Amino acid sequence: MKKNRMSKINKMLEIPREVYSDVPKISIIGFDEMIIENYKGILEYEEFFVRISTYRGIISINGYNLNLETMTNDDIRVTGKIESFDFERITD
Amino acid sequence: MIIKKIINYIYGYLRITVEGYYIERFINICRNKKYMMWNIKKINDIKLILNIEIKNFREICRIAKKTQCKVKIKTKRGLPFLLNKYKKRKVFVLFLLIIIMTIFLSSNFVWNIEIIEENGIEIENIMEDVNKAGLKIGELKTNIDTKDIINKVRLNRDDIAWMGIELKGTNAIVKLVKAEKKPEIVDEDEYCNIVSNKNGVITKINAQDGTANVKVGDTVSSGDVLINGWMEGKYTGIRYVHAKGEIEARVWYTMNKTIPYTTTEKRNTGNTETNYGIKINNFRINFPKGVSKFKFYDTIENENKIKLFSNFYLPISVIKTTNQEYEEVQKTYSMEEAKSLGIQEIEKELEQKIENKENIVNKNINTYENETGIDIYVTYEVLENIGTNEKIVF
Repeated sequence: MKKNRMSKINKMLEIPREVYSDVPKISIIGFDEMIIENYKGILEYEEFFVRISTYRGIISINGYNLNLETMTNDDIRVTGKIESFDFERITD
Repeated sequence: MIIKKIINYIYGYLRITVEGYYIERFINICRNKKYMMWNIKKINDIKLILNIEIKNFREICRIAKKTQCKVKIKTKRGLPFLLNKYKKRKVFVLFLLIIIMTIFLSSNFVWNIEIIEENGIEIENIMEDVNKAGLKIGELKTNIDTKDIINKVRLNRDDIAWMGIELKGTNAIVKLVKAEKKPEIVDEDEYCNIVSNKNGVITKINAQDGTANVKVGDTVSSGDVLINGWMEGKYTGIRYVHAKGEIEARVWYTMNKTIPYTTTEKRNTGNTETNYGIKINNFRINFPKGVSKFKFYDTIENENKIKLFSNFYLPISVIKTTNQEYEEVQKTYSMEEAKSLGIQEIEKELEQKIENKENIVNKNINTYENETGIDIYVTYEVLENIGTNEKIVF
C-alpha cells in the first residue's frame, strides 16, 4: 500500500522509474555499446556471450569481442560487436 | 569519463589477470564489495584481464583465493608508480625542482630592455638614462615603478615628447617619441639683439626694429651682433627694443679631400667562420675553434637573447661571432678618375649640410696634383638668412 503511494508521488513528479525502483534500464548505442542500469550481477561472461542478472530477469547478450568496460554499483557497460540479446522474465 | 581516467591515473591502478574456473563468481563478489573494476576482457575460457584500484588489491587477492583463482599483476600504471620509479633518482628530481624554481623566480625579473623609437629616429644615451632612472636588467619587476621612471627620464632630458614603459613577461618595452629641438624663443616683450650664427659677408640688411650694427659688404663671424636691440633718438636717449630684421649673407661652405692614386680596397671573399659563445648576465664563455684560418677578416658579433616564450626572456644569451674573410686589392686611378671621384664625394657631403639648394650662388673647385694623389677643394657659395635672437642681459 505504502509502496503504491510512493510510486504515485514519483509518477506525479516525473522522476525516472529506474531511479526510485529496481527496474533495469537498458540502453543500446549503435550496435556495439550497451548500458544496463540497476543490474544484480554477472552470471556468465565469455568473449562471445554475457549473461547479466537483473531484478526483473536475465539479459543474455551474444556477439564478438565483448568487454565489460566499466562496472560500477548500479550500471555496467558492455562493449563489443553485439549480435543479439534476449530477456528471460522472472515469472512470479 | 576523462576526469575519471585522470583521477585513476593520479591514484594509480593495476591491470591484473585472473585465472580460474569461477571467474563470474569472482566478479560478482568484487561487485558486491563495491570495488571499482573496468576494462574487463576475457582472453580465453578461464582467463580475464581487468583494471583495479591499488587500494583494493589485497582484498581482491583474498577473494581470488576464495574463488580459487590466480591473480597476476600485468602492468602497474599511474602516478604513484612513476614517483616510486624516480625515488631512486634523487639528484634528477632535485634538479628538476631547481629548474622549475629558477624559472618561476626568474620570471619576476626584467631580463631584457627593448627600446622602440618612433619612426626609427635614434635617441642618444637613452639606455643609460633609463638604467639610471631605475629600469635595469636584473631588476625585480615589483620594484619597477613605471610612472616614476618616466618622470625621472623626462626631467633629465628635453628631447623626449612621449615615453611609455610596458612590462611583458621578463621583457620591458620602452617606447619613445622624439621631440624636435626648438630654437629658444625670446618673448616679444623682451629686449633682444640679433646675432649672427654663421660666418659670411652681408649682402642685405634690413632692420625693422633696432639699430643695424653692420653694413652691406661687411664680413661677420658667428657671434657678432648684427642688429642692436636699442634705438637712439635725439631727445629720447637710448631706448631698448625687441630687435627685428632680415639679414642676408653670403656663406661659404668648403671641404677638402685628398684622393690617392693607388688605394687598397677590401673585398669579401665569401668565406666565413662562425664561433659560438654563451653569455650569462656579464659572464661570458666562448667556444672557439682555435685560431682563425684567415689572414684578414672582419668580426661581426650577434647577440641573441634566449627566450622561452615570446616575451619570456632569460638572462642567457647566445653570441654568434662571424669572421668574414677579405682580401686587399690594389686599385689605381688615373688623374681624371681620382678627380671626378673626389668631387662627387665632396659634393654629396656638402649638399647634406646646405638646407636650401636653390640658394647656391657659386661653386668653386680647385685641384692640386701631387705625386701620390690629388687634393680637391670644393667651395659652395650660398645666400642665407643669418641671425638669431639673443636676449640682452643687463
